[in-house]
Amino acid sequence: MENYAVYLSAALSVAIPALATGWAQSRIGPAAAATLAEKPELSVTVVLLIAIPETVAILGFVVSVLILMQGGG
Amino acid sequence: MSRIRILGPTEQLQQVLRRVQDLGLVHLIETQETGSLKLLGLTPQQARHVRRVRKVAEDVYAAIALLGKEPHAGSTSNDLTLARAALIAGRSRRHLEALEARRHDLEEERALILKFKPFFTTFRKISESGLDLDGVRIFYLVLRDDGEQEMRRVRAALRETLGDGFELLSQSSESGEAAMILAVPKESGAKAELLLSEAGVQSLSLPDQFEGESVGTTVQRMQSRLTELPDDLANLEAERDRIARERGRDLVRIRAYVEDHLATVDAMAKAAVTPRAFVLEGWIPSAAQRDLQQCLDKTFGGVVEVETLSSEDWLGEPAPVVLKNPRLFRPFEAITTMMPLPKYGTVDPTPYVAVFFPMFFGVTLGDIGYGLILATLSLFLRFRSAPHTKLRSISEIGLACALFTIIFGFLYGELFGDLGHRIGLHPIIFNREEAFFPFLGLALALGVVHIVLGLFVGAVKMFRKDKRHALGRGMAGVMVVLIAFALMAAAGMLPDRFFTPLVITTLVALPILVVAEGVLAPVELVSTLGNVLSYARIMAVGTASVMMAVVANRMTNAFGGVVVGVICALLFHLVNFVLGVFSPTIHMLRLHYVEFFGKFFSPGGSQYQPFRHWSQRENAIEERSA
Repeated sequence: MENYAVYLSAALSVAIPALATGWAQSRIGPAAAATLAEKPELSVTVVLLIAIPETVAILGFVVSVLILMQGGG
Repeated sequence: MSRIRILGPTEQLQQVLRRVQDLGLVHLIETQETGSLKLLGLTPQQARHVRRVRKVAEDVYAAIALLGKEPHAGSTSNDLTLARAALIAGRSRRHLEALEARRHDLEEERALILKFKPFFTTFRKISESGLDLDGVRIFYLVLRDDGEQEMRRVRAALRETLGDGFELLSQSSESGEAAMILAVPKESGAKAELLLSEAGVQSLSLPDQFEGESVGTTVQRMQSRLTELPDDLANLEAERDRIARERGRDLVRIRAYVEDHLATVDAMAKAAVTPRAFVLEGWIPSAAQRDLQQCLDKTFGGVVEVETLSSEDWLGEPAPVVLKNPRLFRPFEAITTMMPLPKYGTVDPTPYVAVFFPMFFGVTLGDIGYGLILATLSLFLRFRSAPHTKLRSISEIGLACALFTIIFGFLYGELFGDLGHRIGLHPIIFNREEAFFPFLGLALALGVVHIVLGLFVGAVKMFRKDKRHALGRGMAGVMVVLIAFALMAAAGMLPDRFFTPLVITTLVALPILVVAEGVLAPVELVSTLGNVLSYARIMAVGTASVMMAVVANRMTNAFGGVVVGVICALLFHLVNFVLGVFSPTIHMLRLHYVEFFGKFFSPGGSQYQPFRHWSQRENAIEERSA
């Protein structure tokens, strides 16, 4: 029970960036689909643009692991 | 590449172009007009000729497409004339289009008859009821739901509109639907049709050839057509195969012939002439320049000259680019060419991609079992794909990735997750289920190596043109290494006594960086350090993959029965394998395109497309595969 703050912060540190990533990708996705409809040759750029916000979620995951490790979770 | 200019007497332009095309080495560009030097336009007669060639090209491409498969290439003898090519291509196209139209009609007829098929028995029974069909129009109707009630409604509506002037017979079919035949006097046909459409009753249209027949005869003829149609379609297919056998080679020859013709016209449009001389300009690989001069000297006895322009004359002009890599690295050109080609004279990143892409993939997936599955699938794909296709490149990239996945699987001691530990495999470097920090350290270390390599490659390439910026880029690389070591010393991974000297060296390097790269250099450096952090995704995606595999293995005991558990575990492993291949691919592409290429890559090169024969183009592909 005493570790609840560790677990909560670990969860939040991955959940909030994941939501942010999802929100960002939800905006990029339709624009990407529209771009591909007109210029299919930009598929690589589109994949990269979609993958870029994932960095936030991945760093959130790393921070979450650090919190769990350091906090003795 | 060398920028060349070919000069000779105007009357020999066509022969020179033919020799240049035979050699297939010169990438022609449009010659600049100056003073009396004018671009060679087409005479009205030549323009007519080009239109004829284009028409033949249109016919031959349409005919080859209608054959349904690429015919085998035949001999490339030059006994073909445009008139003969036009005759064969036109005739083949018309013949194949007629076959295609006939096939389309037969397929349509079969589809229509198949619509009637479930009601054959029903309609036959109705026809045997003695309905008099003289001077009447027949509607074949199908009622899908609640046939009884629907039929009463239709009957009432018909009575209201047509009085007693109709006959409606119905029968339930074997499928439970109601089949009906409505007979009305021909003059009331339009009214009945409107009424049925308003009532939403589906009416089946008879194929044209059965119109006006009695119901019984129609059903009987439809049944016999159903048995005949597969034979008719097979005959059409056989006829198409016969054309492919007899004219396929000719069509391939004609395609090469017209493509060569059109390429020559295109080349002529790039030439410029004076009343006496012509000029052709273009690019040629430097090593092949002597061959061109020798070939032209031999053919034209020294009246055609090849001049090399000095690099100052073509500075800033976009030289065409051809990627040349050893056989082992060549499949990875598929990854490089997903981006625009690098500019001429800049670095081709393919060799770096060939080393780091599969390595990073292996570090991320790192599992002997998954690696073996990936290797099997890649081998299968390799044997099923044609040489020099994207699929072949993907299969070979897959093999390299599988090799690294197996190697790192051994190092992590993983075989389908923790199954390896259970059967006695031991991690050699670390156990990814527990060792988050070592794995993160490995990922970031790989990031440092990759980014610093990118910075150094950029610095070396830039050194000749811009020494100051090259120094700045190199210094950025050195500072990334210094900061990485300082952080390691601070974290206790290096002896404490290194920390202070490392920090002092970093602080000394900073002003040099600012002087070389400008005041924004520190911001750029922070961004580069952010790029290194991005490599943490190797650890994140890898950890997620191994944890999913562990969960899959635990499923064997989680569902009571072993069989159910094993099936669930296998399915979960399958999902994890698909994710485990897809996810690292996307992330590794991103690491290369965004983090690594960003340090040195200069896109904007145009593809080297030499003026050559159509058949040479195919042979060139074959040669490369040998």
